[in-house]
Amino acid sequence: MTSVNATFGEVAAERRIASAPFSHVSIELGHLYMEDFEAGPERLREQFRRVAPWVRSVRASWQDRVPGRRARVSTCFLIDDYFSPFSTPAELVPMVLDAAAESDLTIDYLARESSCAESDGVELARLVEDRLVDDPAPETNGSRPPVKETGWLSNGARSPQVGAVQAMGKAQRWAPPVQNAKRGHSIFVDVELWDEAAGRRTWSCPFLAAVWQLLRLGLLRSEGRLPLRPVPREDAFPGDWDSLPAVVQLNPAATPFSAYTTLSVLSPRFLPVELAVRTILSQVAVDADVLRQVAARSESEGVRLEEELVDRISYVFT
Amino acid sequence: MLVMGEVHTGLLQNSGEIPESSARDVLRLLAGETVRVSRRPIAYAVSPDRLTGVDCRLPAASQSRVRGVGTVVSRSSITGGRVVQGSSYAHVQRSGSDRRLAWSHYLARPGVIEVFGKARAEDLADGFTEDPPADCLDLGAISARFMDTVQASPLLDRRAPFKIARARLRWVARTGEPAIRLTLHSDQVRTLRIVHEGEFTPAVADLCEDLALHDWLLTALLVIIERARVGGRPGPEAAAKLAPAVDHLLHLWMPAARVDDALAPFWESLDRRPGFTRQWQSLVDRVRDQVAVNTLALLSATADAGRRRQ
Repeated sequence: MTSVNATFGEVAAERRIASAPFSHVSIELGHLYMEDFEAGPERLREQFRRVAPWVRSVRASWQDRVPGRRARVSTCFLIDDYFSPFSTPAELVPMVLDAAAESDLTIDYLARESSCAESDGVELARLVEDRLVDDPAPETNGSRPPVKETGWLSNGARSPQVGAVQAMGKAQRWAPPVQNAKRGHSIFVDVELWDEAAGRRTWSCPFLAAVWQLLRLGLLRSEGRLPLRPVPREDAFPGDWDSLPAVVQLNPAATPFSAYTTLSVLSPRFLPVELAVRTILSQVAVDADVLRQVAARSESEGVRLEEELVDRISYVFT
Repeated sequence: MLVMGEVHTGLLQNSGEIPESSARDVLRLLAGETVRVSRRPIAYAVSPDRLTGVDCRLPAASQSRVRGVGTVVSRSSITGGRVVQGSSYAHVQRSGSDRRLAWSHYLARPGVIEVFGKARAEDLADGFTEDPPADCLDLGAISARFMDTVQASPLLDRRAPFKIARARLRWVARTGEPAIRLTLHSDQVRTLRIVHEGEFTPAVADLCEDLALHDWLLTALLVIIERARVGGRPGPEAAAKLAPAVDHLLHLWMPAARVDDALAPFWESLDRRPGFTRQWQSLVDRVRDQVAVNTLALLSATADAGRRRQ
């Protein structure tokens, strides 16, 4: 008898990773906080007027990268309903859409910031927190668990505590913090990820922004599935934020929400926030299978992505 | 250049074997990630992979200073609801740079440690399989933590049926003409050197974990038999001392259960010499014979007592 090649599989033993559809670039047209809203619609119109030329320019540059095909560019807009909820979707969304239209901008997707913390029972922020792999200081050999300041993340070694008395009884002198990957001199960054009051955790703005970037880059999975899928808009917008889906697809003809790269057009006042976001994202370990999946997908259409995920994110501060 | 890893194996700190549902909960080390479970030919559950960042000296037999930066991949697993393993490994590669890069560079290559300067694979392999100095990469400590995390789970009752030391197996894998060498150092430490064809795949780490598991089983059974002092004490006492082996270990022997077909010859060659399965089978026979002899003795004693009463 010839030998028989048997194959046996068990579904629970195999890893399945859903794949996301991808645009070439996801452009964030703006990020609306209560103070912007309170400043009136003119502030919003001005923001869109500043953003419009950059959108045209990014679209044109992607069109050059994929000659003969259509550049897939999707736009999104984030509303803060987490830190200080304000107004209602029914009142706010039409106003935002009108202001964008005045600058010939189409908002493809609208997202709620609180969905970066939790949405549909999936705690996205926890998911990302669990995937932080701390940037190790030199002489970290694994013999001890990583030194952590609960709720904080840095890019180096913190200063020893001033005034702490060592075993020999000598007070420790101040020493500077050191960036792990410094070039000559340190730029030490220490980011607060969350705080807790009365047993309730509040995620920091940079942490939620890091989750937001990962969502737009299509790099998050929960139990192998995509954690958030955009939901097509209904005719009328609801009267409270909780009734609005996490990500609403406003434009039926839009290219996919997630994209190989992202661009955020922001006011320079967000610069420190984005430095914190990059500090966090440099320490997020994205699933190796997901990384491979996205790389294979982009290469199949001739797009070569940057290996490091922070290099897939770009900004215009204007 | 090479892959280095360390597997710790021990008895799960629980009175009985745990069911699949508990194994899933115990091994849920990462939010939003499924614990993989297989049931054939033996129950096996494995946690998601996690990474640990390191920036330290790598052990070199020549004592030369080799610095490596990158991440170590680790996971915990439970076999047969009874045996727990903590396993870590890292792929050592030459760095394209002469200085440390941004951390995001290393996270884009999960499980890779990049070394600077002129490191030689052979030197590192020798350094790692000998006793590595304390300030060097400590995969053992990382694996121990992954095992401890499981052992500390509140779902376990911490009443193990017998005491047995955990075993440590350090391994290095390289590409070349296929070869395997297993060395027993002390009671608890083994080293394994594998040369395999083609690129390294996680299947090689699976093979090392499987070998570590079976080496531990064999050691545990030997220890139990030794403790029973067969022939040195009354039969019923010796048989009672052997009972934990029957209850908890004998059914777990399942060589190469999850080993990739391409790597099965490695197991087979170790099974020829030193002959793992041969030794296991002879020990199992010994345990069963002891239990049988004791049962017969008990039966005949009962029969004698019965006849005397008549």
